[in-house]
Formats: sequence, structure tokens, C-alpha cells
Amino acid sequence: MEDDISEIIVGIMVAVLGLVGLVMASGAYDSEIFIFGLSVAGFAVVFDIGLIRRHHDRRALARHRGGNHG
Amino acid sequence: MAEPMQVPIQYNEAVVRKFVIASVFWAVVAFLVGVYIAAELAWPEANLGFSFINFGRLRPVHTSGAIFAFGGSILIGSSLYIVQRTCRARLFGGEALADFLFWGYQFFIVMAALSYVMGYSQGQEYAEPEWHIDLWLTIVWVIYAIIFVGTLLKREEPHIYVANWFLLAFILTIAVLHLVNNAAVPISMYSAKSYAVYAGVQSALIQWWYGHNAVGFFLTAGFLGMMYYFIPKQADRPIYSYRLSVVHFWSLVFMYIWAGPHHLHYTSLPDWTQTLGMVFSLMLWMPSWGGMINGLMTLSGAWDKLRTNPALRFSVTAVGFYGMSTFEGPVLSIRDVNALAHYTDWVVGHVHSGTLGWNAFISFGAIYYLVPALWKRSGLYSNRLVAWHYWISTLGIVLYISSMWVAGIMQGLMWRAYDAFGFLQYSFAESVNAVHPYYVIRWMGGVMFFVGALIMVYNLVMTVRSPSTNLSGSDAGQFGAAGAVVAGE
Amino acid sequence: MLASLVRLAPLWRGSKTMFRHEWIEKNAILLLVLTLLTVAIGGIVEIIPLFTIETTVEHVVGMRPYTPLELMGRNIYIREGCYLCHSQQIRALKDEVERYGHFSLAAESMYDHPFQWGSKRIGPDLARVGGKYSSDWHYAHLTNPQELVPESLMPKYRFMAETPLDFDHIAQHLRTNRVVGVPYTEDQIAHAKEDLLTQADPAAEADALMKRYPKAVVVPGNPKGPTEMDALVAYLQMLGTLVDFANTSAEKLQQ
Repeated sequence: MEDDISEIIVGIMVAVLGLVGLVMASGAYDSEIFIFGLSVAGFAVVFDIGLIRRHHDRRALARHRGGNHG
Repeated sequence: MAEPMQVPIQYNEAVVRKFVIASVFWAVVAFLVGVYIAAELAWPEANLGFSFINFGRLRPVHTSGAIFAFGGSILIGSSLYIVQRTCRARLFGGEALADFLFWGYQFFIVMAALSYVMGYSQGQEYAEPEWHIDLWLTIVWVIYAIIFVGTLLKREEPHIYVANWFLLAFILTIAVLHLVNNAAVPISMYSAKSYAVYAGVQSALIQWWYGHNAVGFFLTAGFLGMMYYFIPKQADRPIYSYRLSVVHFWSLVFMYIWAGPHHLHYTSLPDWTQTLGMVFSLMLWMPSWGGMINGLMTLSGAWDKLRTNPALRFSVTAVGFYGMSTFEGPVLSIRDVNALAHYTDWVVGHVHSGTLGWNAFISFGAIYYLVPALWKRSGLYSNRLVAWHYWISTLGIVLYISSMWVAGIMQGLMWRAYDAFGFLQYSFAESVNAVHPYYVIRWMGGVMFFVGALIMVYNLVMTVRSPSTNLSGSDAGQFGAAGAVVAGE
Repeated sequence: MLASLVRLAPLWRGSKTMFRHEWIEKNAILLLVLTLLTVAIGGIVEIIPLFTIETTVEHVVGMRPYTPLELMGRNIYIREGCYLCHSQQIRALKDEVERYGHFSLAAESMYDHPFQWGSKRIGPDLARVGGKYSSDWHYAHLTNPQELVPESLMPKYRFMAETPLDFDHIAQHLRTNRVVGVPYTEDQIAHAKEDLLTQADPAAEADALMKRYPKAVVVPGNPKGPTEMDALVAYLQMLGTLVDFANTSAEKLQQ
């Protein structure tokens, strides 16, 4: 339960940060903000994919265990 | 399933493992960059003519790499390990929050290092990252505080163990220092350039209030937390004195904050502030040695373990170096000593006796303890290699700090030397020439320290690759209550 | 301080005393709040008076905000990490004053966001390097320091002479400085680009620039437009030259 709530909150927070990164990169004055913004967006995508993957792994594991008991 | 079962707590050790790997990786990077910039000072041509690896751009990579990447990773990692076990509680916030802490912190390090070599810097020592990276770190740090305090709040142990007091003080104070010192206004949200809110003398004091307490709370309080867990653990002895830990905790936390102005003696900072800084720096000697005594005396009756446990040797030597540099620090803060030593390499040597001798050694001790524990191995691949690492690094530190003592005192004396006619005897360039051999010796000391770290990496990789032994995990309770580990109470 | 230790003394005297440290150890929030309070005191006592005590920054004649070109040069100084090898703070010690000039005043860095006093002298102090050497010397020295000072450990900054200065957002730089307290006027912000170009062009009419920024040093520049090195040299040539010591009485400098 704690893991589920945590995944949702963190996932949304990271997605928002990724969007901010994209906005910053789009209007960047200098290469630093351009690279930083894109990197934040990339970080957000990879991190959230990781969250989703692990969420499903855990569900699958729980189903598997439940099956054993049943 | 009728009878109540004792469910073992599933500690989040995955995040600790990641932090340990990261800290070892960053140790190698930070030491390598250190060796390289030491070479640039001995042989200026070593930059090969590339602007992005000039000393001025690489030094922040070295300092941030050593302090925040290597030190920060092992500090955060071990704090998450300690807080779970001493509270008998799984990390607050679940796996996702801990994962964000790890990856977010690593992202901060990579972005900061990249920005330095590209030439983006705030121009404040140890606070070089520009505003956008500072904001990112703020988010990560708040998450860290939430995880740590949340775990304290859901603890199963009535008492908060002494290591956690120090770790909590570290997390809170670093947050305050970071927010206040990095206050800046960017010229646009699309530009990396910002201007600090404070100017001149106020900027100077706030910077050294920050800088000195980065030492006080990142490199001291945080690592003392590490000491208070791993030394009793490895020596299998309770903390020497509970009373001492109470007194030295509160006095350390109170006094450190005042000591910053000793970085600004004889400058345009008002005299009253300089005097306050010096007085508190001198008093700080006492709580610092309180910690040292508590760490060393924990070994009383268990000194023989130093022969059989080379990892413990690192931890104990670290406490020795801690005692030495916290004595040297107050001496350097005395105005007249500082008049000679400030701006010279003596200060550089002092910093490295603390960072290499204390921080790195206590971290190595913790890493050598944690890797077998986290990967469920019966022990390290080779204790002999740990001994090699120990002696090579120690020799490296000795070369480093003694060469910097000589170089620093020589610079100080040359700059103030007068000839028979009452003129300054040496040009600045002559003092640069005079320290060259000591810069070479310093570089050699750094190389040895770096080689020691490589030996450690090999040993750790081989440890992880060795067959697993299923050690039982939980040792909570033994360290759960502050009261439970008090000698003679 | 001793007093506070004495107050801590009864902590471990067991249950008979009013206060027991155990309470703090059993309450994470209490521990958190007390730690924050303990940490806050020292910072508050030392930092806040620096903003409120009138004499902290001396009243001197001659200080002015940086010209746009100097400001850009200062940003390059920060970018390259010059502060890691050069201090800009002459301490009030006999040998330093003889070597580098009048000890530094707080007023001289009052427009520095942030300060660049430095902490290490791998190279000499630069607080009063302005006017000590010719601009041509600085160009040659930055390009190849070892040619002029064989012992020097300084990297060669040849690339700066070839890199055009990026000053598209110069007005924004001035405006942001005004936000953090530097008294740039509307006039100065409006003419920022013009002033910058004038200072890097000896052929240009510099009267307006000199009126807005007295003592500004026009650098040789080159026909292709200002480079990073032009900006850096303009900054170096200004360092420590602004305060009019003849019109600043000694008592005023006493803190």
C-alpha cells in the first residue's frame, strides 16, 4: 500500500519536473540550460518507466504468490 | 496461520547497495581528478591546452566529487542503513521515494560536474552549482529529510539512537545552509547565470558560515553518525560514554555554527565578528575531542580486534586523524597563526588531513563492513588487500600533509620576509618556484591514495563475485535503544 | 558557553531532576526542533548585525557599479574559477599592504554578487591589480603567462582572445543586479549595449561612458567586436582603482 501511494506521488512529481525541464530547454539562452532541461526530461521519462515496470513486477509477484497459497 | 508469527522487517537494502556502489565509483573519480589537478599545479602544461580541464574548472569537480559525490553517497547510504536498523523500521515512503533519492542525487552530481567543466559556476567555494542545480538538490534533499524523519517517526524502538541525532542534525543544518547561502536571482529562468542576493562583506560571511559548516555538519556530524554505528558494531562493544555523547552532541551543534569567521581574519569583515569566530573555534576543540574520545574508548578491551579486523583499523585511524585535524583547526583559527597560514598550502594540507584521514578512512571502514553485510557474504575477499590499502593510503596522507605543512609555512614566511634594507625580500614568483618540489611530493601522496582506492575496488568486486553465504539479516535491538548501549548504566 | 554546559549537567542525574535528556531521545520532533534552534543561534547573532550595523561598510568616495564590459569580464573571471588561485582581499598586515597596496575595504566589494575574496594564493592577490600593468601586458600575459613570468602555474587563456563575447542579454544582467541591490540607473540599463561596445573600441567617443562610469578603462579591442579577453582585461584594469583614498579620511576606515 505504502509502495503504491509512494509510486503515484513520486511518479507525478518527477513527471512535472520533466515538463519543467522541457520548458526550460525550449527557451534556453545557453547550452547549460539546454542540456540541463533535456536531461531532466530524460531523467523523468526513464525514472517513470522504471516505476511502472517495477509496479507491474510487484503485481505479478503478488499474483504468483497468491496463486501458490490458493 | 493462526498463531501470531514474528514477521521479520524487510529493510530496504537495495537503495543502500546502490549508494555504496555509487560512493566507490565517485571515490575513484574524485581521487583521480584530485591527482590530475595536483599534477597541473606541479606541471602547468598538464592541462594540454584545453580550457575545460584547467585547474579553475576542475577543482570544483574534485571538491564536489570528493565531498558531495563520494562522501555524500556513502553518508546518505549508510544513514539509510543505520536508521532502519536502529529504529527497527523499513524506510518511510516506500521504494519509489528511496529510488528517487538515489537517482536524483546522482543526477545532481552529474549535472554539477558537467556544468563546472562547461564553465558555469556561482563562484562560491563548495557551493559552485548554479541556481537550477541548487533547486534540484533542494528537492532531493527535502525527500531525503522526509524519508529520514519519517522513518524516525515510525520507529519500533522507544529511543532514538545517538547516531541518528548526528545524522538528523546533518540533514537539517545542510538544508538551512544550502538554502541561505545559495540565494540568488537568475537573469532569466532560461539562463544559467544568476547573481547572488548578498554582496561583499555579507556575501563573504554567509559563504564561510556555509563553508565552515559544510565541514561541521556534512563532514563532521554526518560522519560522526557513521562512527557511532560502525565502530561499536565492528568492535562489538557499547559506546564508551552516553553522557559524553549527549554533551558533545549539543555543544558541537551549538558551537560549530559560530566558527565560520575564522576564514576571514584581518579582512574587511568587522573585528567583532572575527573575534567571535576565533573564540568559538578554540572552544570547538573540546566537543570535537569529546567525539574522538568516545570513538576511541569504545575500543577499550577490544584493541586486539585491530589485528584481526583491518576494516576496523580504518575506522579507528580515522578517529585519530579526526582528533588531529580538530586540534590543528583551532590552532589555525588563532589570528596570529592565521596571519601566517591563510592563503597558503598549510590550509590545503589541513583540509586533506581531515578529508582523507577522517572522512575517507571512516568511509572505507564503513564500506568494508557494509559490502559483505549487504551482499550476504561471510567476509571480504581478502583482508591482506585491505591491509595493503590501509598502509598505502596512510603513507599517501603522510606525504600529502607533511609536504603541505612545509610548503605552506614556507610561503607564509617568504611573503612576509624583509631584507636588510627593510624591503620585501622575495617576489611572489619566487615563492611559487620554491614550493614546486613539495607540489610534486603532494602529487605522489595523492597517487598513493588513489592506488589504495583501486585496491579497494578490486577487493570489493571480488567479494561480491564470491559465492553467497546466507547470513541472517536483522540485528536490530542490539543497537536500538540509546540506553541499551550505555556502558555501566 | 560554560553556563550552557552547566545547564546541561543535570540531564543524566536520573529521575529526580526536572529535565531528562530521555524526553528528547524519545521524541523525534522535539529533537528536530531543538537541533534547529541550537543551530540557528550562532548564524543569527553573526549574520544579521552585518546587515544592520551602519559601520560595517565604510562610506567612501568613488565606488560605482561595474560597467557592462567589466561585469561581463567579472563573469568570465568567475566562470574560469580564477578565485580558486587568486585572492581579492588585501589583509591589514604590513607586508601585504607593502606588496599589494592599501588594505581592502568592505566598500570595495559592495557591488560584488557574490564576493570574490578567495581563500588561496597560488597566484598573487588581484584586489588592486588595476592600472599596475598596461592592457597590452594583460593580453600577452593571459595568452601565455609563462612568457612573461616563467615561474607561473597559470593556464594559457589564448582561447579568450578568439572567443567573441556573448552580450545579447546585457541589459538583463544589469537589471538583475539592480534587483539584488546594485544601484544601476534606467539610463545605465538603457545604454548597456552601447557602453559595452564603446569600452572595447578606442576609436569610439567615450564621454557618455565616462560620465556614467568614471575611471572606466577603454581596452584596445579589435575590429571584429569585443572578445572575452577584452571584457576580462577591462575588469582587471578596474580592480581596486575606484576608491578615492585622498578624499576618504582615515577615521572613516576604522571599524
